[in-house]
Amino acid sequence: MHLDLQSVSKQYSEFALHPLTLKVEPGEFFCLLGPSGCGKTTVLRLIGGFESLDSGQILLGGTDISHQPPQLRNIHTVFQKYALFPHLCVFENVAFALRIQKRGSAEIKQRVTEALELLEIGPLSDRRTDQLSGGQAQRVALARALVDQPAVLLLDEPLSALDPSLRLRVREELKALCHKVGTTFIMVTHDQEEALQLSDRMAVMQHGHCLQVGTPKEIYEYPASAFVAQFIGPANVIQGDVQSAADSSQDYYVVHSASGKFSIPKNGAAPPHRISMILRPEKMRLLRAKVAQPNLIEGEVAHLTYLGSRTEYTIQTSKQIFKVFETEGERQKKKLLAPGSKVYLNWKAEDAILLPQGNEHEVGL
Amino acid sequence: MNMKSAFSPKTMSPWAQCFIGWIILLTLIPTILIFLMSLLNTKSYGVISWQPTLLNYARLFDWTYLNLFLKTIALSLGATLTCLLVGFPVAYYLARVSGWKRTLGLILLFIPFWTNFILRIHAVIALVGNSGLINQALLGLGLIDQPIELLYTRTGVFIGLAYNYLPFLVIPLFSSLEKFDLTLREAALDLGANRIQTFWLVLLPNIRHGLIIGSLFVFIPMMGEYVIPDLLGGGKDMYLGNLMVNQFFVMQDWPFGAAIASVLSVGLIFALVIQYRWESKTDG
Repeated sequence: MHLDLQSVSKQYSEFALHPLTLKVEPGEFFCLLGPSGCGKTTVLRLIGGFESLDSGQILLGGTDISHQPPQLRNIHTVFQKYALFPHLCVFENVAFALRIQKRGSAEIKQRVTEALELLEIGPLSDRRTDQLSGGQAQRVALARALVDQPAVLLLDEPLSALDPSLRLRVREELKALCHKVGTTFIMVTHDQEEALQLSDRMAVMQHGHCLQVGTPKEIYEYPASAFVAQFIGPANVIQGDVQSAADSSQDYYVVHSASGKFSIPKNGAAPPHRISMILRPEKMRLLRAKVAQPNLIEGEVAHLTYLGSRTEYTIQTSKQIFKVFETEGERQKKKLLAPGSKVYLNWKAEDAILLPQGNEHEVGL
Repeated sequence: MNMKSAFSPKTMSPWAQCFIGWIILLTLIPTILIFLMSLLNTKSYGVISWQPTLLNYARLFDWTYLNLFLKTIALSLGATLTCLLVGFPVAYYLARVSGWKRTLGLILLFIPFWTNFILRIHAVIALVGNSGLINQALLGLGLIDQPIELLYTRTGVFIGLAYNYLPFLVIPLFSSLEKFDLTLREAALDLGANRIQTFWLVLLPNIRHGLIIGSLFVFIPMMGEYVIPDLLGGGKDMYLGNLMVNQFFVMQDWPFGAAIASVLSVGLIFALVIQYRWESKTDG
């Protein structure tokens, strides 16, 4: 079922969720990503029915559910700390929704068993909830929420209570689970890597605003603002002015910035006058010697972190600090650069993401 | 000698030794003495015969005494239930607010208990008397034409019991409600339970320890209460506690008083054992 949020807003004394319009497709894995306090959990609670909205409406499969209490919505939640009922065993926790619906005991047994098997926790059926590990408790919470096949499953930072090693494995399983059961998953997270890996589509939020909705690839490669660019992954930002009198014979515009003159490709409409160039660390190269190329900045290695498959450098230039990743493939036989070494930063003109300036005050994580 | 090795003082922490010693000295020995006393007999007024007998227990199977037992149980159960109904919203409120409101609430709940017990009962007399606050309020509101007879009636005793024991139920209830995770309530609603189902199926099972402990905290002393029935019942209505005190201090029949006390103790221990077994069963 489609989930439609139409200009949904909520006002608190010190926080406001600005009118949000969002369409979530059936069976989609959708992530709400943003720093803490951005309003993502509020959106989840509005969909779940735990908060009342001030304006707008929420439609599920075309039906207005804006003012339905949570118990009438065909939506279940996996709570951040799972909220398993401590007075019930695993089986009864999973059976809860079916017992409320007064299903027959044979049906309950069959459906609970199926749900437990789906999450591979059949043997835990008789356990008490305090005898479960974090990963097991999470599976029980998922089984409990999926047992009566809700239209939408809400997940509130479900991985944050798990060990980091377990988290990576569970991510893959969650995505597989979503596509297997066909339920729409809407997950709240502040972890951009998690959102990139899991989402079919996602929304990036900040200060109660939805900044951008798109697939992980769209958001990473075409961020709508410098904030999104920096939140979704490491980014270097150079601010500058596009030289208006571009030589029409050239393929490039020239950008004047504090760090020097750089070229950007000339394609489509003319860029705005004041722009931010976003450079991903993996798109920048470190040159050991100066070459006659455009887009070159001289700097010095301030710090490096060797990570095996790649090395992360922090480069101090005369105006700012850059993050640059050099893979082992790029490095080949060359030596690692020691701190203090002189280097030249270089990138292809078309690898820079260009954004109009204006929302830089929102940057700063 | 086997017992000695199992409870060897050497294997116990000093705290455990203190605790065991305390229990033996202040609870076990007096209880045994009372029980032994119940097996003796009174020759004449205040004179004890040292001949063991079960006569005192046989005497209890008189309709007058059985009736007294049932009446006391009914009154204590009723007053406990009233404490639960009145105490639950109070405990729930205190568990949900924080900071100064909670502190203030708890202080207000206990301020009356900084005064003497007898004074507190006189405060109840002032409340329930013919010209007391309750009657004045009802008269003022025009709900009644003449004062309701509350003082020196069973209703007066009932109000006095509930009033006096209320805080002892609120505190254990408050502490289990405070530990209750509110997201469990949301989880129940989320899974389709309505408010009433959430209350019965999720809230109550999770606060049952506080509920049971609190109820026993008030029910057990109510069963032996004699001052409240005396002062608020005007001595007209007799309960188990009054009967016992009478036997000890008026009739000077200590063995019979001890027999009543022993039956009461055994009954309450029985109730505790049932409660304990039920709890350990439901805990899986």
